[in-house]
Amino acid sequence: MKLFARAAIAAAMLAAVPLAATQPAAAQGTVKFGALYPFSGTLALLGDESFRGFELAVEERNAAGGLNGQKIEFIKGDAVDPNQAVGEARRLTSVDKVSAIFGTYSSSLSLAATQVTELANIPYFELGAISDPITERGFKYVFRTNATARDFANRMVDSIIEAIAPALNTKPGDLKIGIIHEDSLYGQTVSGYQKARAKEKGLNVVEVLPYSAKSVDLTPVILRLKSAGADVVLQTSYQNDTVLFFRQMKDQGYKPKAVMGAGGGYSTRDTMQAVGAENMEGALDVDFTQYNTNPKAAPGITEFAAKYKAKYGIDPRSGHSLANYMGAKVFFDAIASAKSTDADKVRAAVLAVDIPVGQTATGWGAKFSEQGQNTRAVPFLMQWQGGNLVTVFPTDAAVAKMKTGIGAN
Amino acid sequence: MSLQDSSPASTAGKSSPAASGGPSLLARLANPRVYCALLALSLLVIIPAWSGSTFVIHVFVTICVFGALATAWNILGGYAGQLSLGHTVFYGIGGYTAALLLDSFGLSPWIGMIGGAALAALVSVGIGYPCFRLRGPFFSLATIAFLEVVRLLAIHFNGLTGGSAGLVVPLQIGWPWMIFREKINYLYIAFGLLLLSLAVSYAIRNSRLGYALTAVRERDSAAQAAGININGVKLWAIAISAALTATVGTFHAMYMTFLEPATLFSLATAIEIAMFALIGGLGTVAGPLLGTVLVVPLAELARGWLGASANGLHGFVYGTVLVVITLTLPGGLVGTFGPFVTRLIDRLPGGGRTRPETVAPAAKLVGGTVGEPVLKATNLVKRFGGLVATDNVSLTLKRGEILGVIGPNGAGKTTVFAQLSGFLAPNAGTVELLGQDGKWHQPKTPDAFARLGIGRTFQIVQPFGKLTVLENIMIGAFLRHRSVDDARAVALRVARTVGLYELKDVEAGTLPIGGLKRLEVARTLATEPTILLLDEVMAGQSQSDTLKMVELVRAIRDSGVSVIAIEHNMQAIMSLSDRIVVIDSGKVIAEGAPETVVRERRVIEAYLGEDFVHAQGL
Amino acid sequence: MDVLIQLVLNGILLGSMYAIISVGLTLIFGIVRVVNFAHGEFLMVGMYAAYLLAAKFGLHPYAAAVPIVILLFAIGAAVQRFLIQPLLGAEEHIQIFATVGLSTALVNLALLVFGADLYSIPPSAAQGSVMVGGFSLVKGQLVMFVCALALVAGLHLFMQSTALGRAIRATAQNRNAALLMGVKVDQIYVIAFGIGAGCVGLAAALVMPLYPVTPTIGTYFVLTAFVVVVLGGMRSMYGAFFGAMIIGLVDSLSGYYIAPDLKEVVYFALFLAILIFKPTGLFGLGRGTE
Repeated sequence: MKLFARAAIAAAMLAAVPLAATQPAAAQGTVKFGALYPFSGTLALLGDESFRGFELAVEERNAAGGLNGQKIEFIKGDAVDPNQAVGEARRLTSVDKVSAIFGTYSSSLSLAATQVTELANIPYFELGAISDPITERGFKYVFRTNATARDFANRMVDSIIEAIAPALNTKPGDLKIGIIHEDSLYGQTVSGYQKARAKEKGLNVVEVLPYSAKSVDLTPVILRLKSAGADVVLQTSYQNDTVLFFRQMKDQGYKPKAVMGAGGGYSTRDTMQAVGAENMEGALDVDFTQYNTNPKAAPGITEFAAKYKAKYGIDPRSGHSLANYMGAKVFFDAIASAKSTDADKVRAAVLAVDIPVGQTATGWGAKFSEQGQNTRAVPFLMQWQGGNLVTVFPTDAAVAKMKTGIGAN
Repeated sequence: MSLQDSSPASTAGKSSPAASGGPSLLARLANPRVYCALLALSLLVIIPAWSGSTFVIHVFVTICVFGALATAWNILGGYAGQLSLGHTVFYGIGGYTAALLLDSFGLSPWIGMIGGAALAALVSVGIGYPCFRLRGPFFSLATIAFLEVVRLLAIHFNGLTGGSAGLVVPLQIGWPWMIFREKINYLYIAFGLLLLSLAVSYAIRNSRLGYALTAVRERDSAAQAAGININGVKLWAIAISAALTATVGTFHAMYMTFLEPATLFSLATAIEIAMFALIGGLGTVAGPLLGTVLVVPLAELARGWLGASANGLHGFVYGTVLVVITLTLPGGLVGTFGPFVTRLIDRLPGGGRTRPETVAPAAKLVGGTVGEPVLKATNLVKRFGGLVATDNVSLTLKRGEILGVIGPNGAGKTTVFAQLSGFLAPNAGTVELLGQDGKWHQPKTPDAFARLGIGRTFQIVQPFGKLTVLENIMIGAFLRHRSVDDARAVALRVARTVGLYELKDVEAGTLPIGGLKRLEVARTLATEPTILLLDEVMAGQSQSDTLKMVELVRAIRDSGVSVIAIEHNMQAIMSLSDRIVVIDSGKVIAEGAPETVVRERRVIEAYLGEDFVHAQGL
Repeated sequence: MDVLIQLVLNGILLGSMYAIISVGLTLIFGIVRVVNFAHGEFLMVGMYAAYLLAAKFGLHPYAAAVPIVILLFAIGAAVQRFLIQPLLGAEEHIQIFATVGLSTALVNLALLVFGADLYSIPPSAAQGSVMVGGFSLVKGQLVMFVCALALVAGLHLFMQSTALGRAIRATAQNRNAALLMGVKVDQIYVIAFGIGAGCVGLAAALVMPLYPVTPTIGTYFVLTAFVVVVLGGMRSMYGAFFGAMIIGLVDSLSGYYIAPDLKEVVYFALFLAILIFKPTGLFGLGRGTE
């Protein structure tokens, strides 16, 4: 009997597959989008944070009457690796028959999922992944609002020349630069562009050190930087390794003149709390727009933070939600003006978007290249001051002046 | 779980082993095990084609891909019992080889697929050769370490591999590029790869290699005595398994169109592949696929239904279900339901037929001149630490004679045997064998000794406990016969000779000790040796069985085989032997005809002690 | 030269962290002979417990070590009793998969309960460093070093001089013989697994001040712990301790002199070399091919 029960369970599990494929079709009067993010696994924190920005944009839009009178409905897709991203993109496009997919935070998931939607002729709106090739493959229906890894790297290297060297009263070429990065896609991509840009600008890079983000000891990295006498450290890192770097830098008594992160772990409040505000003091950060930004340069940013707090009960955990919110709004407007979810009409409408810099909640503008990349997205330079991450560059968006030095003295 | 039964016992049902010149194709299709298996497999294409949904197609592509990976893994992990948890090394090699050849030279991934398979097979031999000496969890940990090293190197040398930033496969559409707008084409390829893996797995299962792998997994010493080169067959298994895994890896990389070390060399995926095979049933043909069919949809459904409600809920449910499955189905699906389902299937029209027996090839006659030396051991010395177990032993065996080796317990008889059959290398001295070619050889490994015609039994019996008696004997027969049918026929003949025919379908592990002793002799005889080393085969036999055994050994000798027998049963050995060698404390203390040897004072001393000798006034 | 000395000091202190995490795994591996892939998740559970005790009751992790060790002992014993023991009769591989399933379930349970956020306890004295002769030593790591030594010595004493310890050793050496001698082997396994998990609990309390906890923190340590166990010869506590020191030194020195992203390659290569050429562990204390 037990055997039969087991067999029955097994059979039921098998039978359930086609069931999943025949879920009820879309309700009338709604337009369906997919929201593809990593909700579990190691990327879950910022994946979820990114999704919240999208969710707020949808709620705001629905409260204002939806897209041309149709309510927006979204279906979540959770992917932690490229095969799952392909699967979820397939599920969203074929089972749930969504009109477009928004995502993704993670570049490798985006690269895999966009191949699916491109072949299915469904628009894919990337709101947060930074890998440049996403919009360099000649795809027709992939659009991205956010800045890319190259923008990040260039901003970081340029900040050394434009902000740090003048503040230290030295020539940029006299500063010794150390580049360190975790060795997954994010770190390798950004640091690659950093090296290229630094070379192009004639800067003196003394160390390039990759390390695993799962490393539990960064003292060898720190001692190498210390031995090389690096004045400025550019780090591309997630949370754990950022925390580790700051704690161990202090333990080893290493005090560079400036430390600059490429978003990631540098932008979250958790990191600052784990490191301690006084130790994080003065750390520079190039990232998507964060919340201590001049609202004049980023209209709507204060309202977004308030809405976020009202819905989730905490302050935004990073700027990813804001970037996703801004991107979703831009694309909702474009779809509304296309008056259709047909991919070619949406493409025409997206390419027609023309928002000057300083008119969105992130402070970015929006103007898309033929490749679908927003050419008016720039990461800002921020700095941890008194336990807050404040924007210090560009000047319009700045709320504070940049300081030199790192850690409390 | 027996070799013969487990493949047909699979739920999907598999035909009986193919017989060369056996039933025609049509006749085989009428066997319900065959048509049920084909019907069940075809559902993997029919369901998604009928549904038309590209998500359902994706789920089935994933099933086919992981089914093929698990089936390939099972060749090493199931058949050979080497639990690799780093198999994605080969999967990644397949993916990267094809993608890099496409990227750098514009070669079609179909060519890359072949290149990747070849490279993976090569690498697998490099991993297997040093690691096969490790047992159980240590082999698993070593494969994990290899995987981690390869993944980290792929990240580090980003100039070659693209590093973590990954490689994007260009969207060139069409069959040459393995990229399609019509998703069903992916399914055709994935299904084809699955069929390929199943076919290879099935063919190995029912081949000499398959039997050899099982023998190695169960007991490597007995396998060596049967002439199996244990490292050789394991290397074949890992190479075939790796090549198949790489082939699937190529396809899957093209399917995902994006390659990064974290995905292609993923430890989590490697563990998952092994898990599918385990859930379905290790060492069976259909098990790995069945495990995949059960778990992949489960994971997809969990993500679809639970993923939206709370982050982590679906992963929690998935992990819990895995634990529950391992607890409730420790034999895997096939082990648990297999026999039951096979019985059901056999009731269908055309079922339940038995295979006709083929005629055994004539036993080869041993040539050569009776009385010429065939084995020469010269000045053998074997030390274990301070103990000299074999102290300068020399002996010669002549063709067609029965040489009895006697001596008190612990005298070192079995140690000498181990050196005569290659299981122990002497510290000094040589063992020479007269080969079929008329030349003298000095083989080094047990399997080389076996191939030169040495057959040995073990004092402590070494049956392949989970195989049937017949399969045990077949493993010996494979030494001289490549085809399964010939081996089976020879094994049946040997089973009749030693009186095990009635027990041929019994699991060997359940035999009483007397039966096991005869099984030792049978397996050894099946190797058709020219020199037979018998280590206490009379022990545990009844009086009448002992007599039969004596008759049997004589009959074997009369066929031209030379015999060395260690025996404690004095009556038997004295009547049987042409010549006796007495060993005590590692030394030969007497040698000669039975009747003269027993009268030697030193022999009686050795057996009964000096006091006895004095008391008798000898 | 100064850098070299600093690297060696760091390596030894780092090694003491690996040691304290690996001792429990050595016990489980050496006695119950189960490859526990959920070992890292035990650490994670312990760290969340330490975080909660610190956040809700203001208990410093060092003070919280006692309840955490008890909790982990209970979890470990329960895992052995209800997960591993029913599988003892099955093929040995199956236990590996049961622990893999457990690991997946625990990681996701943590994600479900705590989210992916990173939790750390308020900065405490343990994070600071002291300067000794111009070299910096992290206080929290010094505590680990002392605790690791004490733990290894304590366990050694326990194994040598108590009846239970002797029963555990007998079981580890020969299960069947121990059974014949009247040792309740099943109970011994439950206790041994519990003690192994309890050691991880202690490790969690000591690690918490230095590393923030996330659901996946266990994966940072688990492979290293396996390397340490094999290096130390599988079943020797002292072996594990010295194995951990060596991995700590390799980690520190290769990270500096070779490349930080290749340090894992170096110690995995060392691990493979040991397995293949000296399967009894670096100090000949184990039996790798058995």
